[in-house]
Amino acid sequence: MFREEDSIRVELTYSPLSITANTNFVKSPKAGAVVMFAGCTTRDSFNDLPVKSLTYQSYPPLALRTLFSIASEVKAKHDLTAISIIHRLGTVPIGEESILILASSSHRHPAFAGASEALELTKEKAEVWKLEEFAGEGMEGVWRANRDGVMGVKMEKGDGEEAVSQANTGGGGEDVRGRAEGAKAAEKAADGEGADVSVGD
Amino acid sequence: MASSKPPQGHFTLLYFAAASSFTKKSSEIFRAPLPARDLFQVLEKRYPGFTEKVLSSCAVTVNLEYIDLDEDQDGENSLVIKEGDEVAVIPPVSSG
Repeated sequence: MFREEDSIRVELTYSPLSITANTNFVKSPKAGAVVMFAGCTTRDSFNDLPVKSLTYQSYPPLALRTLFSIASEVKAKHDLTAISIIHRLGTVPIGEESILILASSSHRHPAFAGASEALELTKEKAEVWKLEEFAGEGMEGVWRANRDGVMGVKMEKGDGEEAVSQANTGGGGEDVRGRAEGAKAAEKAADGEGADVSVGD
Repeated sequence: MASSKPPQGHFTLLYFAAASSFTKKSSEIFRAPLPARDLFQVLEKRYPGFTEKVLSSCAVTVNLEYIDLDEDQDGENSLVIKEGDEVAVIPPVSSG
């Protein structure tokens, strides 16, 4: 599932993500800089229970529309040569890429800024959900939320505008558990930060 | 996720993530037309506790557009879900 036009490519796929193919997509004789963000799945634990698997679900037609809109906005704002945002779906083995964002531009600063902004907007808005399942018996999986999505907190979301949570937010909580009061909100983002690679320029 | 057309006089409702876990379904059909402001009440009646556990933090789309579920200044929200619409319950997202 993908949409590609105007040097923008967004894709949702159940297959492993190809760094080479996506680098080739954004490379151009006009672009001296290519910046890539790779988000890789990590071996997280929850109440000392190891995560058995991470599975991503999406609403593809809406997520592709949202990703394309993010990519267009960021490409225009930072005057990028090309941009691609690729998210993997289904079960992603530990240590593999769940998301790739690549941006190219004539110089490095716009490429870094564009890739970073595209990632933040994607995590905030793209209609993709992560399920963590645990090794323990009888354990339910936990659907995570990137923002302050603790149940009971109303999220207002309209027409592509920022989601605003009305209630107390607990401050800067990236990856707050989408369930259970006892969740360790301060826990580090389990999706792990991938390798940032820059070439050229 | 069923994208097939619902039967005449109905709309399709898609559930994702926590909404899907709670209902144990990925989609369901409901009778149309239905005022959008009544959607959560209909769902709560069918799935007691759904609002508190899940829906209160969810957004809703109709045909891939986010809709406002709150009443406007006059205490009304005139949006009506029509026959054939694809409606989705969108929990807080967690990509990346």
